[in-house]
Amino acid sequence: MAESEEEVDVLVQRVVKDITNAFKRNPNIDEIGLIPCPEARYNRSPIVLVENKLGVESWCVKFLLPYVHNKLLLYRQRKQWLDREVLVDITCTLLLLNPDFTTAWNVRKELLQCGVLNPEKDLYLGKLALTKYPKSPETWIHRRWVLQMLQKECSPAGSGQKEQQGQVEPQGEAERSWHTERLQRVLQEEMRVCADAAGRYPSNYNAWSHRIWVLQHMAKGNLKILHDELSSTRLWVSMHVSDHSGFHYRQFLLKSLLGALNLSPLPLADALQVHRSNGDGTAGAADDHASAVPQLFHEEMELCTDLIESYPGHETLWCHRRHVFYLWHHWRKNSQGTGPQSPVLTHTAALLSEASDPHNEGRSSQAMDVDCVPDSSKHGGYTQNTKRLKRGPVPPCPGLPSEHLFVSRILSSCRSPEQGRFANAYRKWLDSVIGQ
Amino acid sequence: MKLYSLSVLYKGSTKANLLKAAYDLSSFSFFQRSSVQEFMTFTTALIVERSSLGSRASVKEQEYLCHVYVRNDNLSGVVIADSEYPSRVCFTLLDKVLDEFSRQVNSIDWPSGSPATVQYTALDSYLAKYQNPREADAMTKVQAELDETKIILHNTMESLLERGEKLDDLVQKSEHLGNQSKAFYKTARKQNSCCEVM
Repeated sequence: MAESEEEVDVLVQRVVKDITNAFKRNPNIDEIGLIPCPEARYNRSPIVLVENKLGVESWCVKFLLPYVHNKLLLYRQRKQWLDREVLVDITCTLLLLNPDFTTAWNVRKELLQCGVLNPEKDLYLGKLALTKYPKSPETWIHRRWVLQMLQKECSPAGSGQKEQQGQVEPQGEAERSWHTERLQRVLQEEMRVCADAAGRYPSNYNAWSHRIWVLQHMAKGNLKILHDELSSTRLWVSMHVSDHSGFHYRQFLLKSLLGALNLSPLPLADALQVHRSNGDGTAGAADDHASAVPQLFHEEMELCTDLIESYPGHETLWCHRRHVFYLWHHWRKNSQGTGPQSPVLTHTAALLSEASDPHNEGRSSQAMDVDCVPDSSKHGGYTQNTKRLKRGPVPPCPGLPSEHLFVSRILSSCRSPEQGRFANAYRKWLDSVIGQ
Repeated sequence: MKLYSLSVLYKGSTKANLLKAAYDLSSFSFFQRSSVQEFMTFTTALIVERSSLGSRASVKEQEYLCHVYVRNDNLSGVVIADSEYPSRVCFTLLDKVLDEFSRQVNSIDWPSGSPATVQYTALDSYLAKYQNPREADAMTKVQAELDETKIILHNTMESLLERGEKLDDLVQKSEHLGNQSKAFYKTARKQNSCCEVM
């Protein structure tokens, strides 16, 4: 069916308007999709809105896409002016059909910069595009640009953009907390978008590396968020045991937690937030901090063991074990080797060598007293040893012997040939890389 | 790690008769779900038709695994899962479901029954419960039971077909598939990309 240029023009304008109206009618649209429909039904719009899902019938794409694409390029080449409203609608339509069209995202960057477009609205469009194209590289790249813009806007320096009559007013308490809340909301939403995209495509590298980027740029050294992410992704990886990228994310979280914990002791509030309350009150905070690392590794190795035993034959799980054990092994080596650089490290080293050298205990409690423990006045005769006993035994630390035991156990009971191969390879790795 | 469908069928002399089915299509895009369901029905019936009595098999098709158990009394069950889901648990589930079904639904009704007439309602809850294999069944118990050497593995659907038979032809002729699904299959086959055919 040959369409004349006018007919196509009319059709396209109708479709773009239908899409815009659909969003106005339903602000809760959470998914877009293509409906396989080779022929148009008489005089019916190809835009379908069902529950919270927006669908485009496939027959119209071959008219719609080239036309709108061309229109945008003409604008870009300054051959045809389009006003801002039209640009918003056209880029929206284009990106829902093809989110890897960089030019459209760049037009939206300009609209964002001059304030015509709201950043959250733009992020929403990206989120929808990802429901259909969960890997779309350009969408993720553009997203990072928007997040950086938002961060600048919400930082104390950035609010200089909103100068009032030439005077730069310092941010008031209320304004600062509004900015912080806004960034928090945006961060949480990014985590959700990444999780959703990860579920829509196996080992979605783009989604997971974006998730890492967000934490690196918007939650630097934030122990609470790192811990929360570790707990919230635990179930996810347990149900996606061959998703390399998901496990790699956990390796990143562990590394970041190591880095954050190795820095000087935290303000009390942060340290408290880190741990589920165990009713010991404030005095246990710094102690928690130091034993956090072995605890973290113990839990991660336990998770790995559990999954390897329940789901035999998944190489991802064995790779994860290597990464975690490697991190643990080197952290332990480094923390035992260092001198009195950081009181935290010394204490942890003492904690670890406790099993082998009980004489260290006296020294370690002195180290902790010197530490910036918030309620040091309360210490008096209340020693670190007593507190540690109250807390319970230190978790068994993974080590070469226990790992070899694990491999033997797996080999003796496994019925899957792949599992046997992976176990043997792991054993060889232990000998050649760790055992030196 | 997902289960997509759980079906009970009767293997007739020439055709498989669907008695009851449950689907979980939540992980598919909304507008693809009806086609996906039709393809699962089509595939399920085809697999049962091409499997012999008293056999268990796993058929791989792209990133899906179809596990089938055809009993000696012609009652059959098919589970369609992803490649992460442990197949042992699928076979345990099939044993359980078929056993229960055969006690609740009279065998007289099997050859001519349909989802509308068959009185068996547990499939949906089994499908939901078994989404998490560890919650559903003690893994250790499972590992002791099934003798895996008896499960036939097929790397493609094609290996189930007769010599000269083409899957494309069967799709075209199928009464399980609507026009939209058939069109979808054609374009998906052409693209041969990351989209799901089923």
